[in-house]
Amino acid sequence: MIIRTKNLNKVYRTDEVQTTALNDLSIEINQGEFVSIMGPSGCGKSTLMNILGMIDSPSSGEYFFMENEVGGLSERKRSDVRKNNLGFVFQSFNLIDELTVFENVELPMMYTKVPSAERKKRTEALLEEMNMMHRRNHFPQQLSGGQQQRVAVARAIVNNPKLILADEPTGNLDSANGDDVMKILADLNSKGTTIVMVTHSQYCAEFGNRIIRLLDGQVVTENVVRQFL
Amino acid sequence: MFNNNLKVGWRNLKRQPFLTFLNTFGLAIGMAGGLLISLFIYDEFSFDQMFPDADRIHRINVDIKFGGQDGEYAVVASPLAEIVLDYSQVEMTTRFRTQGSMLIKKPDAALNVKELQTTFVDSSFFEMFGLELLEGDTKTALRNPNSLILTKTAAEKHFKINEAVGQNMTLNNSEAYIVTGVIDDLPENSFLRNHSVFMAMSGYEDSRSTEWGSNNYNTFIKLTPTADIESFQEPLQAIFSKYLVPYAQRFMPGLTEEAFKASGNYVNYSTMPLTDIHLHSSRIADISPNSNIQNVYILSFIAFFLILLASVNFMNLSTAHSLKRAKEVGIRKTLGSNKFSLIKQFLTEAGLISFLSLLLALVVAFLAMPFFNELSGKELSIPFFNPIFWLLLVSVAAVLGLFSGSYPAFFMSKFAPVKTLKGGGQSSVGGGGIRNMLVVFQFAISVFLIVSTLVVFQQLNYIQSKDLGFTKEQILIVDDVYGAGNQVQTFKQKVQQLALVKSASLSSFLPTPSSRSDDGYKIQGVNEQDNNLQMQSWRVDHDYVSTLNFEIIEGRDFDQKYGTDTSSIILNESAIAVMEKSAKEALGMKVVRNFQNEEEEVLTVIGVVKNFHYESLKDDIGALSLSLGDGAAKMSVKLNGGNLSNTISSIEKAWNEVAPGQPFNYYFMDDSFNETYQAEERLGRIFIIFTFLSILIACLGLFGLAAFNAEKRTKEIGIRKVLGASVTQITYGLSVDFLKLVGIAIFIALPLGWYAMNSWLEDFSYRIEIPWWTYVLAAFLAVMISIITVSFQSIKAAIVNPIDSLKTE
Repeated sequence: MIIRTKNLNKVYRTDEVQTTALNDLSIEINQGEFVSIMGPSGCGKSTLMNILGMIDSPSSGEYFFMENEVGGLSERKRSDVRKNNLGFVFQSFNLIDELTVFENVELPMMYTKVPSAERKKRTEALLEEMNMMHRRNHFPQQLSGGQQQRVAVARAIVNNPKLILADEPTGNLDSANGDDVMKILADLNSKGTTIVMVTHSQYCAEFGNRIIRLLDGQVVTENVVRQFL
Repeated sequence: MFNNNLKVGWRNLKRQPFLTFLNTFGLAIGMAGGLLISLFIYDEFSFDQMFPDADRIHRINVDIKFGGQDGEYAVVASPLAEIVLDYSQVEMTTRFRTQGSMLIKKPDAALNVKELQTTFVDSSFFEMFGLELLEGDTKTALRNPNSLILTKTAAEKHFKINEAVGQNMTLNNSEAYIVTGVIDDLPENSFLRNHSVFMAMSGYEDSRSTEWGSNNYNTFIKLTPTADIESFQEPLQAIFSKYLVPYAQRFMPGLTEEAFKASGNYVNYSTMPLTDIHLHSSRIADISPNSNIQNVYILSFIAFFLILLASVNFMNLSTAHSLKRAKEVGIRKTLGSNKFSLIKQFLTEAGLISFLSLLLALVVAFLAMPFFNELSGKELSIPFFNPIFWLLLVSVAAVLGLFSGSYPAFFMSKFAPVKTLKGGGQSSVGGGGIRNMLVVFQFAISVFLIVSTLVVFQQLNYIQSKDLGFTKEQILIVDDVYGAGNQVQTFKQKVQQLALVKSASLSSFLPTPSSRSDDGYKIQGVNEQDNNLQMQSWRVDHDYVSTLNFEIIEGRDFDQKYGTDTSSIILNESAIAVMEKSAKEALGMKVVRNFQNEEEEVLTVIGVVKNFHYESLKDDIGALSLSLGDGAAKMSVKLNGGNLSNTISSIEKAWNEVAPGQPFNYYFMDDSFNETYQAEERLGRIFIIFTFLSILIACLGLFGLAAFNAEKRTKEIGIRKVLGASVTQITYGLSVDFLKLVGIAIFIALPLGWYAMNSWLEDFSYRIEIPWWTYVLAAFLAVMISIITVSFQSIKAAIVNPIDSLKTE
């Protein structure tokens, strides 16, 4: 089991209002699964993703990543777990504007201290695979949305993460580009990478093998997707 | 990773040229100013350090209060040196008896050369200061009377260096000397700078005198390597009881040490390390004019704050613009970067800016150096070839980069990725409180400097326009008239006959600070101990009072009609105040000059002259007397206006008739007067320039913040405009917050300025009271400058079409 949460709660407090984003949420995700998380705006999808991605911590409850409790780890420890095990794909791509395509993809390996020659080899191989090699020295603003998301995906997987967290990866893309990205993710999953994806699109959700629906911070249904691939 | 940081840093700088410009330019100005001032201060502290045993050399000072007068002297009596030489702590002593300027030539030469600073000096001179001769033998060079040594530059005016030794020279057209050595020119940062002729003390008769009454010798001691100066103080103090008291009893029978001290009098000897003299000595008869440690402190303060201001700018602008970096921080953190590596990233960028600024600062400092030298009166240069300089420079840039970058780095590395990644950015950046504080800090310093500048200039103006008790305008001074020998009276008559000359007077002394001469006086027939007055004795001629326009408030001026006037004297108000007489009582009174030795003479008071300023306005007016005498060095010529250059060439013609071949030197008295306040004037100019720079830096910061603020509120401005707000309302809304900060700054700075400038003014005996409008003007200037700075950005934002500003979302 790669992910197991037990009674996760996340409460946001402002001066007057208290909002419960996650409410006693318990889920389990196995190694090699491709799970899609769906639900209306404000149901807690992004909060869940942030907690699963260890860039936010729960108000209460437990989060076991690869059977280790990580909910209560320090920022430094979480950062270590994150860089060695996780890859992120965002709706708004979140490439660093000051870095070239090549450098964006290379960046996670610098944080994991991969030697320079190895970095070059892996980056080039991935860019080749994503069909982005001819754009290696361009800056993000010089690319189309689809190209940017392919770079972002390349960056997410360059460290061979065990888990990819994708937050509406196709949200800013047209359907052709969206399809491309979904196929890449499905392909990765077929090679063994666990994927957790938030999406509004039923079409995209069905690329996965399980759909978790959230409402008001709770799981309402879980269904197994009919495998058609 | 470092390369990556550097690369990203560089790209960031390029992507935000406006911000980069503000940061780099501000820091560069701060650094350039700091660099120039540091070189200045380094030079000030380097004085006299070049002498090999400088740490063992001390000068003996004396503070005297006696006969209603007090003074702090850099000179002591002639016999003191020989006495302290017997003390176990003292290895050797050297005395200087400075002579000011002299005319020097080879006996057969037609023309004299004027050397500005000459002195008699003991033969231990070379050993004391570790000096080598280029030509001649240090052991014998200053042994015999009438031998002298010249500096290289002075010698080269007459002969080749290697032919100098053994040559005959004539000083002041009369005294015959032999050149016994040539010494290298003395460094600009030594107390002997500008001194070019050193004559053997053995030829100066007074140097063997056993008189304790007159203090004329700058006396230096060198301690033995093991001695410590503290153990020397007690035997030094004992000189008073052992030698001065018995000496004084010779002409004041019955004087006891106890009675002397009981009436508040004192003679206190002290020592001052050679290397302290330049910054800490402002005594009567210092060998060379000295600086003031206070000015060094003021400059250090300015340099420090200039750099701090620039650094604060950097912090402010970086944190304000960090909104743009928030997304990057979020991504990096998500990808596994920890806080520490983000801090490294931002510090690298700060370091990069710091080094870019350093390069720019070096260029600016290099270009500004000639102006700064003129301003400071020094000959400084950037030590480009000194590795230590570079090491220091690079360290300073690194420290400054770290310091300036630290707050933005910690501030930005704290951004939470959850917030910054949502929608690609974080809606607001914090740190506003600290930014506001920094703006207040910057403007407080600027307001403080504005107040200081205004006060310095008002005081200078006050000094220059103060009624000095005489007329300094339209007075031409012909210098070194002794060059005319016995023809000097003929010269005076010739000048007096010129059409545009009102009057002319020969004297050795002028009411501008220069060399002085004082004698002991007492009232005849009174035998009290306190009846003793040390005062200025100026030998003048009959036309002195009328030429300089002094006011006789009681009695009369010297007059040719009275043959007895050769034994008459005119006193100033301070003198009769010390004697506790009114002006009327003083008239006809008989005073004895030099009552303590054979030169004693009795003089009758014929007039009282209104006090006039003859020292710096920093000092009170001391007791002074005028009497008739010869041996004049200067002729004062009162002009009638008219064609100046014609008059001067007529005077020069007259001079050449009576003194062919002698240099004709002249200057105007008001110029010489202004030189007295050169230090203050320099300070004033330095203040103005650095005040301007600090305001410029503060404005750069404010400008950047206003731009940021306007940008951040683009959408809000658009909505407000759609809802009907006018340009004025929006401009006001954008500017008013900044003005509040400037208001707080003024509130803080004015009391500080009031306090600091009153302390500075305390140094002057004659000073202004700071008028209230100084503070109002400073506040007004600060507000106006900030309004102009801020409103430029605010108006720019306010006049944008709301359609455009709303589109940015």
